[in-house]
Amino acid sequence: MTAAATVAPQRVRSQLGHRIRIIAGVLVSVVFLFPVYWMVLTSFKNQVDIFTNPPTFLFTPTLETYIEYMSRADVMRRLANTVIVATGAGLLSIVVGSMAGYALARVRIRGAATFGLLILLSRGVPPIALAVPMFLVARKLGLTDKHITLILAYSTFLIPYVMWLMRSFFLSLPRELEESAMIDGCSRYGAFFKIIVPISLPGLLSTLIFSMILAWEELLFALVLTNRHATTIPVAIAGIAGDTVNGANWGALTAVGTITVVPVVIFALMVQKWLIKGLAEGATKG
Amino acid sequence: MGTVHIRDVRKSYGAVEVLHGVSIDIEDGEFVALVGPSGCGKSTLLRMIAGLEDITGGEILIGDRVVNGVAPKDRDIAMVFQNYALYPHKNVRENMGFALRQRRVAKSEIAERVDNAARILGLEPLLDRKPRQLSGGQRQRVAMGRAIVRDPNVFLFDEPLSNLDAKLRVQMRSEIKELHQRLKTTTIYVTHDQIEAMTLADRVVVMNGGVIEQEGPPLELYDNPASLFVAAFIGSPPMNFLEGDLVQPTVLQLQDGTRLNLPVGDRKGRPRVTIGIRPEHLTVAQSGWPATVSVVEPTGSETQITARFAGHLIRVIMRGRTSVRPDETIHLTFDERNLHFFDAAPVPEVAEMEDVA
Repeated sequence: MTAAATVAPQRVRSQLGHRIRIIAGVLVSVVFLFPVYWMVLTSFKNQVDIFTNPPTFLFTPTLETYIEYMSRADVMRRLANTVIVATGAGLLSIVVGSMAGYALARVRIRGAATFGLLILLSRGVPPIALAVPMFLVARKLGLTDKHITLILAYSTFLIPYVMWLMRSFFLSLPRELEESAMIDGCSRYGAFFKIIVPISLPGLLSTLIFSMILAWEELLFALVLTNRHATTIPVAIAGIAGDTVNGANWGALTAVGTITVVPVVIFALMVQKWLIKGLAEGATKG
Repeated sequence: MGTVHIRDVRKSYGAVEVLHGVSIDIEDGEFVALVGPSGCGKSTLLRMIAGLEDITGGEILIGDRVVNGVAPKDRDIAMVFQNYALYPHKNVRENMGFALRQRRVAKSEIAERVDNAARILGLEPLLDRKPRQLSGGQRQRVAMGRAIVRDPNVFLFDEPLSNLDAKLRVQMRSEIKELHQRLKTTTIYVTHDQIEAMTLADRVVVMNGGVIEQEGPPLELYDNPASLFVAAFIGSPPMNFLEGDLVQPTVLQLQDGTRLNLPVGDRKGRPRVTIGIRPEHLTVAQSGWPATVSVVEPTGSETQITARFAGHLIRVIMRGRTSVRPDETIHLTFDERNLHFFDAAPVPEVAEMEDVA
């Protein structure tokens, strides 16, 4: 009797909690997904449907804007630039950042913790404060409007990011794995590349993809450091949105925006898969 | 040559010294167990022999070579870790062959040596499995296999059985012993479990607080503990201790005022002593120390009696069975040759560390 009496309110409460969680989840999803939904929807509308008031959900979809923009050489080049810069910055950062993260996690260096913290704190500087000096340096070196400039600029914030993510990942691995490798005949480098890197592949890939997404979407440095050849897609979008002569072309904006978001969504889904795999892999330690 | 010489080795972390000058000479083929409570420095010492920790002071020789500055990979040692440290992305065969591949041994020879080790350890059906597909005991065996394919100068074991359940631990213990008898490779074995140390080792080194308390063959430590610590640490169930003042050369007065007549023995001129007697050296007799039985635990072959005497819990082990019941008063006697005398000191906590194995 008493047992039933105490259990019942708990069940009611937990059901209520369950419902609240679902409602909260739906609300948050709507807030985040509706703009994306609206962007994708708008990108398939023609000019008239876009400006229909009240906004319409029912219209004849058209690929007009996509065809127009996908066939434009400058848009395609910017897309290619974005791929080059995001891949380059991602790869450079994962190599340098993971090695730095490993050193911070494992190698006993005096002041390593302080050093690591300082690198992290450097991210606290507003990017705008760095963009102008970077531009001056790049101009001095004759490096403006080049892919490598953006790759290096992005690495300044991606490396600390990778370093800290990978540091905690490496810390979660049992130290004995490397020690065993070092007794088995590896140097510290050998242990890192032959044992730690293969084990950390899910973590490394997830971090690489996160870094590439960050580089993919970056606007400020791209705006300041490039003007024609190496310009990336976010700059193009900003250009369309801020067209003061013809006004914003909403069709173009949403179509290019959708093209930009698609690879990011695919990447994010891949990360999710790897992250889960990475977690499952970790369970084999014991 | 698989000799290991440890000479006045010290280890400090910053200002804190954790090993205060330890010296051990290990002969070729010897099985030495380093045993002690956690924090006594035994694992640190082992890791220094392996080259995983720097040596702050003193020197370590493997064979005739001082290895202080030598990288772990160049020391010709193999180590088995408590958590096995198997490479999760490699299968059993690759795990066992990894060290040989690092040394650029010919593929055919690697295969032969791996197969040979697998046969010794009964791992043949598991060679293509990944570590995650193995049970704890199998992983433990692979870790040992990884060590023996190397045919190193010295085996180092760091609490290799601590992650196994009690039954498997006993089984693996005999396997390790058998393996050593077969391979005769110098072995240094770290454990906190005194039974493992006693059963496996040719020589046991008891460590406490960064120094060696005593070293010697297992039974010598058991029969002649040099300190209260060793007496309390070695043996399960542990030795019984009674502390008191020598009011006369042969009369010990306990804290509650009980007076015990002691045989004339080595008092070393101390007024205050702790006497120790092992549970199996006490016998239930017609006269002797009167004790009130609190618990009787028969295990079949023997019976453990816990009784209260002069405010102390005394443990007695009897061969066979008994009709003694709780709350009964029994009398305990002993052969005075089995009585141990120590400087009076608080009995170390380790006395409570009893192992299930």
